[in-house]
Amino acid sequence: MHEMSIALEVCRIAELQAPAAQVVRVAVEVGDLAGVEVSSLEFCLEHLLKEPPFAGATPLITRVPGDVLRVSYLDVDDDRPDD
Amino acid sequence: MWTMTVRTIEVRERVLATNDQLAQGVRQRLREAGVRTFNLVSSPGSGKTTLLERTLAALGGEIGIAVVTGDVQTQNDADRLARHTDRLVQAVITHGACHLDARQVATALDAVDLSAIQLLFVENVGNLVCPAAWDLGEDAKIVILSVTEGEDKPLKYPRMFEQARYAVLHKMDLLPYVPFEVTKAVRFARQVNPDLEFLYTSALTPNGMDEWYGFLRSQVRSFPISERKGMF
Repeated sequence: MHEMSIALEVCRIAELQAPAAQVVRVAVEVGDLAGVEVSSLEFCLEHLLKEPPFAGATPLITRVPGDVLRVSYLDVDDDRPDD
Repeated sequence: MWTMTVRTIEVRERVLATNDQLAQGVRQRLREAGVRTFNLVSSPGSGKTTLLERTLAALGGEIGIAVVTGDVQTQNDADRLARHTDRLVQAVITHGACHLDARQVATALDAVDLSAIQLLFVENVGNLVCPAAWDLGEDAKIVILSVTEGEDKPLKYPRMFEQARYAVLHKMDLLPYVPFEVTKAVRFARQVNPDLEFLYTSALTPNGMDEWYGFLRSQVRSFPISERKGMF
């Protein structure tokens, strides 16, 4: 039920780390005891990451043990050459 | 020639870190003001507001009590409670959100004179799922379970019962009319949280209310002396 609040917070954290339009993937770890319904969180994130300021990033949710609930990493395509 | 690639940024930030920081700020503010704080959680209709109405009427003269109520819509609960106290009852309308968060409580407290109170209740949104995830800066969560609900609520909503330090078994006056087994409910709750302490109340009859009032008095008194304000 509170997955939308969680998803909004995930997006806020992502926006602080990189220009939102360049984010292509948002990886989130969800513990089995975190009290979060993964399919619902995924649904909310898919929706939010399609809308500005994002430009079609995809969520990647990984289940982990314990009550962890964190943004683990972002993939960003910033047009920078690989070095 | 070079290729475009995707960079990975390590984040490793807890999703609720901001809420938890805000909750810590609320906790510190309340501690410094010598205010004991309970976060009341339950399903809708368990009797939170009626229990608080009775409590304000009975103890309002000897203990400074304030209430922050959370509801999805309406400030009906705040209006009901305000009739029983001169002190501020602050309503938070969540507009659809299923829980209160620490920022809402911090904002609500700006309107409360903390120096005039020793006890604060946060009456959370009626919901046994989501409020378990949000620390509001309380000293303890009190989960209220009424005897018109199922005894297996603690097994169905384990996180809430695991997070609570106290459980109030409420509407005890209805026990003769409903197929509710108290021992079963207590057993289920202790399966989830062996340390859970039970109180038994019914707000429409005097049964158990003295124990509840005694519990609250002792909670206010047991605040460390340096942080406690005069009472009685």
